[in-house]
Formats: sequence, structure tokens, C-alpha cells
Amino acid sequence: MKPQSLVALVKMELKKLIRQPTNLFLNLLFPAVLTIVFIFAFADPELGMSINSVVPGLIVYAVIFVIMTIAQSFSSERQEGLLKRLNTTPMTSSEFMGSQIITHMLISFLQVTIVLTLAFLLGFRPDSGIQGIILALPVTAIFSLSSVGLGLITAAVSKTPEAATGISFVFILPQMFFGTFIPITTTTQQIAKFIPSYYLLDALKLIFEGDWMNTNIILDLAVTSIFSISVVIIGILLFEKYGSD
Amino acid sequence: MSYDIRVMLEQLDEKELFQIDMLKKINIPRNWSKTLIVELLALNVSTQDIRNIKTKPLEKKIESRDVSAIIIKDLVKQFEDITAVDSLNLEIKQGELFSLLGPNGAGKTTTINILCGILKPTKGTAIVAGFDVTKNLDEIKKVIGVCPQEASVFKFLNARENIELFGNLHGVPKKELKKRTDAFLELLELTEASKRKAKGYSGGMLRKLNLIMTLISDPKIAFLDEPTVGMDPRARRKTWEFIGSLKEQNKTIILTTHYIEEAEALSDRVGIIDYGKLIELGTPQELMKKYETKNLEQVFLKITGRRILEGI
Repeated sequence: MKPQSLVALVKMELKKLIRQPTNLFLNLLFPAVLTIVFIFAFADPELGMSINSVVPGLIVYAVIFVIMTIAQSFSSERQEGLLKRLNTTPMTSSEFMGSQIITHMLISFLQVTIVLTLAFLLGFRPDSGIQGIILALPVTAIFSLSSVGLGLITAAVSKTPEAATGISFVFILPQMFFGTFIPITTTTQQIAKFIPSYYLLDALKLIFEGDWMNTNIILDLAVTSIFSISVVIIGILLFEKYGSD
Repeated sequence: MSYDIRVMLEQLDEKELFQIDMLKKINIPRNWSKTLIVELLALNVSTQDIRNIKTKPLEKKIESRDVSAIIIKDLVKQFEDITAVDSLNLEIKQGELFSLLGPNGAGKTTTINILCGILKPTKGTAIVAGFDVTKNLDEIKKVIGVCPQEASVFKFLNARENIELFGNLHGVPKKELKKRTDAFLELLELTEASKRKAKGYSGGMLRKLNLIMTLISDPKIAFLDEPTVGMDPRARRKTWEFIGSLKEQNKTIILTTHYIEEAEALSDRVGIIDYGKLIELGTPQELMKKYETKNLEQVFLKITGRRILEGI
């Protein structure tokens, strides 16, 4: 892996994020708006939800939308012949995929930082203190890998950016309903156990509660890591086979 | 005779100059046989080539002419029932500007896509810069530049950023990259627009940027697929001059074009392709002589029975 290529690709991806209004909105402004709206709308003890219980869901929510931006971005680049063109350079698959992973981990860092900063300004005070906030960053970054993988899978099977948007909801909606801040009942909990964002949500809740010794954190992290790594590998394989032509 | 001297001699013309001047300059042994000298004198080379030999370092010329940059062997590409490339055999020399002419759907772009690794051949193979396209694509990608038919540029980046991205992917050192970028932007009159996002560029500007992105790595072999489509006549002329100047750098250029006068003006040789088959091959002059026509357009018309621009 050549650092020169990797750095150039990461820089390009970050510029894409900043300069394309849709990407900027979905990746950075959307989590910010969502945080403000949800905290004002739902963080009400009378409704049985405190600000501390809403924040982990907001973080998960922000990260799962990366699926859509990745899928759209790859599909439109394929449509414009850019992926084909990149394929004629000495750039390797590992440099290309590595740049995607690094970029989206950085984006998820930014997303978590935005959500937590705004939440803090609106009264979020986790029992864990600052340590919990710091720990939330790498844990979420691991989960963001799964969004990269699911984005690649979506792009591999989508012919157009429009199709990519639609298909990405196949992965976004279940995670949104069963793995964010929507209350889990005993019935839905069984389904939620098959949804990876549920484990990130659980881990973040325990982290913010300062319940460091809870063995469930290890389980949550293990499931999140295994799922994320598996999905990213499947995504890379599918994308290389069907997605880059 | 050593290879480099032989290649050098092939560039020479002007018999007297050769005898009086060049023999001394390149230190040809005086004891060479008469037959060999006569053979060498029979070579036809322009005075420009002789000037080049005087002004350019020897190594620039060593690789040229006798080395095959591309060898295509029985190449076939099928898309389901359609045979896009049909048993194509072709050899292109190092330093040659070779034009592939043909109507839409003739198989030009498919051939180029195979040579640069975008498509895999159904049968046969091709050797590019000494490497097999079916086995050593990574090596091939290091020495080629591909200018696709559609101007494929990142619209959210400006011209400089697009060029530098491709330079970095080819591992061009930072200082050299800046130097080359500045020079190319200047040469193709894009300096002023270079800091604006490509999204606002005209079709012609995108084409120029497309071409610079191809050449920033200083590739040995450049595939230019319709590089001037969409340019206004002035920009097209300017780009032709620029492409012509690449020949002096000993680059092998494979050009596909619908502008037949472009091929006629620039090409060392022309290959006419139709229904995936190479149906004629030669220098523009040879073809015009063979078909008793005044230009390549008429040659094309005689061979294929239609004009090249039909159906565009």
C-alpha cells in the first residue's frame, strides 16, 4: 500500500464530503439537526425518555446514514466512468478500499463529535463523564465499518445512484427501527438481536452509564466488530466483482 | 552493430550529412563493411530527426522504432451474441502515433479497454510494454495513461486537484508533479480556470483536463479515445499540436477519433476497423496511394462504403 496514493484518495474523499451539498447534509448537518430536533421533541422525562437515553440512539442514527452516502457516491462515480478510470491507474484495491474505510471512520468521528457537542450544550451529562465520551468515539468508528461494507454491497447491486438510494433503505430502516432510540418491547427485542446497530446502541448506553465492568459491553463490542469486519469483507468482494465496471 | 547505434542510424537521413558529419559524431568504426554503410545510407529520415539526434540525449532514442510497444494476438471480445473484437492482430511500435479509425460500434473503444485492463479478452491476448494483459495488468498500469471517451473528472475538484490526484496515484514526486501540472495547465490554456471546480467547466475544458490527467504521469504509452470530441475548432487545433508534440517525446500514442483529418495529420500509421476486424493498415500516404484518393476520408468511404461520421 503506497502512502502517497492512500493520502491522495482520502483527501479527495474528504473534499467530496465538504464540497458536495448532499454529502455535507447527510453526513454532518443531518446529525446536527437530528440531535437538536430529537432532544427537544423526545428528551422529556414525562415521556419516559431522558436526554441521556436519546443520545446513544442519535449517534447510531447518524452513522447508519453513511450507508446511503457511500452507495450513492460509488454508483454515481461508476456511472460517470470515474471508477473505471481509477482502475487504469496503478492504484490497488487495498489503497482504494483503505481510503474509504479511513475516510468514513474519520466522518463517524466527526458525526459523534457533533452529536455529543450539541447534546452536551443541550444538557447531556453522562454518568461516565468525559471518559465515556472519549470511549464512544472508537466504538462508533468500529461500527462505521459496517456502514462502509453495507454501502459497498448496496453500490454493487445498484445500477444508478437513484436505485442506490432506494436499496440503501433496506439496510437503514431495520437498523433505524430496531437499533436506535425507538423503544424496544419484548417482541421487537428478539428481532433487534439480529440487527447490528442494537449492539452498538447497547454498548453506548452502558458506556455512558459508566457501567464499565458490565460483561455485556464486551459482548456488544465483539458482535459489532465481527459483524463490521465480515460486512466490509463481503462488501469489498461484491464491489470488486460486480460494482466497479 | 550495437542496438543503440542501429536505432540511432534509423533516425538519420541526408546522405552527405550522414557520411561527413554523423559518422564521426557517433563514432562508427571506420572498418565497417561497405554493404552495411550502403544499407544505412538507404534509410529515409527527415532533417528534423537529425536535429533531434543532435539535441536530444541518446537514451531517448534507444527504445524507439524497433521495439514493439503493443502486440495484439488473435484478440477476441464477445458480449453475449455480439463479437465486438474479432480475431484482431496488430503490432504498434514504440514512439509511434497510431490511429484506430472506424464507425461507432466498430470495436475501437473495446480494443483500447482490453489493452488498458478495463475489459478482459474472451480469447487471444495482447502484450503492452512487454507485459501480457491477461497476466501482468499491474505492471501495465504503471506505464500507461488512459484518456477515456467521456471526460471522466471529479466535478467537485478543481483542475489542479484532479491532475494531482492522478499524479499521486501514479507516484509522481511532489515537486515534479507541481512542475508538470503548471506546465500542462499553461500549455492547454487552463491555468486561469485551474482553481475553479470542474463542475463549471465547458465541454472543451473538461476534455483538456481529461487529457492532462492522462499525461501527468508521463506514460510510455497513452491511449487517447476521442480526445477532441466536443472541442471548438481552435481548441481542437491546439490539442492536435499538443498531441503531435508528444511524438517528439518518444511516446507511443494510440488514438481513436472520428475526426479523420486529425488522424491524417497526426498519425504515423492508421488502422481501419469495422465489425471488430482490422480491415486496412498503413501510413496515411500508403492508404491514399493504394486507394487512389486525396484524403483518408475517401479511403474510409471506399473501404467501408460509408462515411466515418455517419451515425454519430
